[in-house]
Amino acid sequence: MFDFSVFTSWLDAALLSVMPGWLTILVECVLVALGIITLYAIFAMVMIYVERKFCAFVQCRLGPDRVGPWGTIQVVCDVLKMLTKEIVSLRKTDRFLHALAPFLVVTASMTTFACLPWNKGAQILDFNVGVFFFLAIGSIGVVGILLAGWSANNKYSLIGAMRAGAQIISYELSIGMVMLTMICLTGTMSFSEICQNQAEGGWYIFRGHFVALAAFIVYLIAGNAECNRGPFDLPESESELTAGYHTEYSGMDFGFYYLAEYLNLFICAGMASTIFLGGWAPFVIPGLDGFNEVMAIIPGFVWFLVKVFFVLFLLLWERWTFPRLRIDQILTLEWKYLIPISMLLLVLMALCVSLGLTF
Amino acid sequence: MANTSYFAGLIGGIKSLCTGLGVTFRELWTPKITERYPENRKENHIPERFRGTLVMPHNENNEHKCIGCGICQMQCPNGTIKVETKMVETADGKKKKQLVRYVYDHGCCMYCMLCTRACPQGAIEFSPEYEGAVFARESLFKVLNQPGSKCVEKPARPAAAKPAAATEGAKPAVAQPQTADADAAKAKAEKMAAAAKKAAENAAAARAAANEAKAAAEANAADTALQEAWKEAEAKALKLETAAKNFAQKAAEAAADVK
Amino acid sequence: MSNKINPIVVAPEELHEKLAALKAEGYDFLECLTGCDWEEEGLGVVYSLTKSSTTFEMTHIKCVANDKENPTLPTVSDLWDIANIYEREVYDFYGIIFIGHPDMRRLFLREDWVGFPMRKNDHPEEKNAEIPSTNEEISDTRHKYMIDADGKLVCEDSPVFAEDAYVVNIGPQHPSTHGVLHLRTAIEGERVKQIDPHLGYIHRGIEKLSENMTYPQTLALTDRMDYLGAMQTRHALCMCIEQAMGIEVSPRVQVIRTIMDELQRIDSHILFFSCLCQDLGATTAFLYGFRDREEVLKIFEKTTGGRLIINYNMIGGVAHDLHPDFVKDVKHFINETMPKGLKEYHSIFTGNVIFRNRSIGVGPLSREQVISYGCTGGTGRAAGWHCDLRKHRPYAAYNQVKFNEITYESGDSMDRYMVRLKEIEESCEIIRQLIDNIPEGPIQEKLKPIVKVPEGCYYSAVEGSRGILGVYLESKGDKSPYRLHYRSTGLPLVAALDEACRNYMIADLITIGGTMDYIIPDIDR
Repeated sequence: MFDFSVFTSWLDAALLSVMPGWLTILVECVLVALGIITLYAIFAMVMIYVERKFCAFVQCRLGPDRVGPWGTIQVVCDVLKMLTKEIVSLRKTDRFLHALAPFLVVTASMTTFACLPWNKGAQILDFNVGVFFFLAIGSIGVVGILLAGWSANNKYSLIGAMRAGAQIISYELSIGMVMLTMICLTGTMSFSEICQNQAEGGWYIFRGHFVALAAFIVYLIAGNAECNRGPFDLPESESELTAGYHTEYSGMDFGFYYLAEYLNLFICAGMASTIFLGGWAPFVIPGLDGFNEVMAIIPGFVWFLVKVFFVLFLLLWERWTFPRLRIDQILTLEWKYLIPISMLLLVLMALCVSLGLTF
Repeated sequence: MANTSYFAGLIGGIKSLCTGLGVTFRELWTPKITERYPENRKENHIPERFRGTLVMPHNENNEHKCIGCGICQMQCPNGTIKVETKMVETADGKKKKQLVRYVYDHGCCMYCMLCTRACPQGAIEFSPEYEGAVFARESLFKVLNQPGSKCVEKPARPAAAKPAAATEGAKPAVAQPQTADADAAKAKAEKMAAAAKKAAENAAAARAAANEAKAAAEANAADTALQEAWKEAEAKALKLETAAKNFAQKAAEAAADVK
Repeated sequence: MSNKINPIVVAPEELHEKLAALKAEGYDFLECLTGCDWEEEGLGVVYSLTKSSTTFEMTHIKCVANDKENPTLPTVSDLWDIANIYEREVYDFYGIIFIGHPDMRRLFLREDWVGFPMRKNDHPEEKNAEIPSTNEEISDTRHKYMIDADGKLVCEDSPVFAEDAYVVNIGPQHPSTHGVLHLRTAIEGERVKQIDPHLGYIHRGIEKLSENMTYPQTLALTDRMDYLGAMQTRHALCMCIEQAMGIEVSPRVQVIRTIMDELQRIDSHILFFSCLCQDLGATTAFLYGFRDREEVLKIFEKTTGGRLIINYNMIGGVAHDLHPDFVKDVKHFINETMPKGLKEYHSIFTGNVIFRNRSIGVGPLSREQVISYGCTGGTGRAAGWHCDLRKHRPYAAYNQVKFNEITYESGDSMDRYMVRLKEIEESCEIIRQLIDNIPEGPIQEKLKPIVKVPEGCYYSAVEGSRGILGVYLESKGDKSPYRLHYRSTGLPLVAALDEACRNYMIADLITIGGTMDYIIPDIDR
């Protein structure tokens, strides 16, 4: 399997040979930042296209098909449109917070995006407490949403933001709990090690059998709710609050929320595939060496993307099937179903691990 | 669902969600229903009764059937149609209305069919032409009679009579020479004769009224209202007399046709 | 069969007593309340009362106000909840002040409108020469007029909303009000405390316009009221005029009209399903509904040449004979498309646990409430009120067919939803019974060139897609109606919204509004 660290250490060495250490780090940081932003934008566009096509196909439609072959250029046009639109500034809003809010949301989602392990050795942020960091940074986004709702001086926005607060903070509990369940199994909080373990010993969803499978489903539900995606899109709920917390945003300010929403979905799927489906680890069946070798030839980032898009398919599938929940139902689901279940899973997993019932 | 237990509710709920997921998964593979307009212009079949725009069909000699009677204009609920006519003298010295411009405001039309149903000549009809979008509002005003066109002379009425023709028509159908069907011609002649008689009666009545009005006006020369009334009555009587004359002539023609 | 009515004239002083007595007698459904300006006779109101029990007999009471310039009548809003909004409509258009009415504000017109436009001697274009370019200031004050001890009219003002109410404007531009409906909603957290509907954004004055139109011309406007009940509305008006003139339409026309009405009902109910799904966030099911509805529209288009604005029924007949493919297409639709579609709707939406939790027990209306509010159609039947005119006052070919009147008990959102879905099946059943035996006959009766309705008052009603659709016609023997009033199916539904939504959540307001199934152009005629 190709190890991306070969390339990064070569680059590091090459830079060090021509410039001092501090400059090397600076240049590397800038390169990495550019890389993240480019990837972020590209994946947002891909996601938007995939979602539009997928929902169209579910709905017996064709979806965008006018601009470019099969409508592929459509998203580019939409982005250009968004970039050129006027940003309307409103009277009686809290200008500073109103302008700040989208950046908070985007920053949070970009930073979490940087946690994803793309390939062996291709990781931007890799701590020994990576999972912890991921959860902590991910929660900044809700601050942006609350600020957006508050600063816009709009009743719809405010109601949307209140809902977002209640919803996101609640669902973070289950996400944390599920993550904890899996950490019992992994024994490490570093994403690179989690992937490495799975590459060596098999994916956790198989190793943790039904407990991990249940945790996977709980994670998908809670993750979906974290992203404010249907059927948990209450903070926006266009049929009740027109657009919820981003009602008053226009132009690229709105575009940031849009980007962040799609990327959060991507990150949610990416995290699910990292923790449960082995990240960049190839699919191996113990005993079938020939098959395993073929699988290992496929580069890690391809594996990662395939898994991410599989999880995305699941998320999109349910998003385009179910009606929206009501705020009390959403909290009932979390507090009366998901939290007890995830607590139970944590206990079960701890038991399994201590009794050696995992693979 | 308060009366179901916690676990039954949970399992029932999950089951219902899975059913829904099954439906959407199946639909993912069904043929799509999107109409690919404008690529499908050719095969896109618009039913022939669809009302897209009002048209006035012209024959190969650039002739239409409109006699400029203006019934359609009267019937229209919101002033979509303006019929501009002028009086011309025909070769045999009769005065006759002739269509100058038939203006149709497409932007105003409600497609209610009152005009086409009322037209005694079947001169206008709706066409299923649906691409009516234009760039300027003025372009929605359309002149339906083609330049240089004229009303068809002695038009042969299409054999298929319009259903319930002239239901709301204000007048009985104007004389139309029939095809060489003797019975029909005879019936026509009888009808014409009756119409001529009626017209003559009307004319006589109007003349009498006019005479009365004249007498009153002359007796009271100072009263302008009476003068006006006289003038009006006179004009009406004249009009009706001309009509009666026309009818009589047509009745004679029809009678000649029978022979 | 004649639909001529002879309203019993009652003096204003005895009106309340008389109506209360009639209500006690069983005439407990105020079907229609028509304001009218009889010129020299004065301004007044015709109350059309119906026995809400299975007989559905009607009686009409006419009451003329004493004063022609400042007419007053006693209110009956204490007897029927729906009278509240009906009387506001009459006040808005005729300026009749209802003494004791708790909320005498304008209903449709702007508050700064001068005059009362439906009065025969009012000249709105002179009094309101300038088109206002400012936003309408919506008044927050209710007016209650009373007669004091000296016999003078006094006005008591009270605020619409409590001082600390948090009022959110749902509408007029809002994704789920299905048009330009403006609901001023006082909320407390997520709970709805009060709703004040603000109407009239697309009021076109169809009733007033009709007074200057010939009868055939008035037909052109009916399709534009309830656009999902175009066939039925036009059927009601044609039937009213035909019966008034004593025209008997052929059995063929009767059957064609019945089939068309039922197709229209299916069309409307599918759209109801679709829009409800959309409102609740299930966008996919929305498109499944639209996919199936397209087939009905294609059937309409082939035979009538119209899809939404159909213009099919004519006085004394219908505009076109059936298309040669009609029978085949309809059979395909009712035997294949619809059963398949319904099965899919039920599996993707009806059974869905999220939808069930959002609709069961949400916004219930009791049988008494729906009668008092005059909520007919699916909303009434969901509450257990047998109010289907096709059964109780059969018209056209409805007495030749067998079908079930779908009713439920609890009247909550789920029941309102189920009534409509079950009614699709019943409509298919009705069509199935008729489609093979469409009798031969003329499609248009011979009429005089100018349609004139003999002098008198007439009332006809049909079962529209969302309730009883009545036409009150008063003629002076001219070629235009003297007064033409439509009993709107949507207005009672919006009037009941406040009651149904109180103490439910904002999301429930959307569910309740969706299941009530009102159509705005039908409210704002």
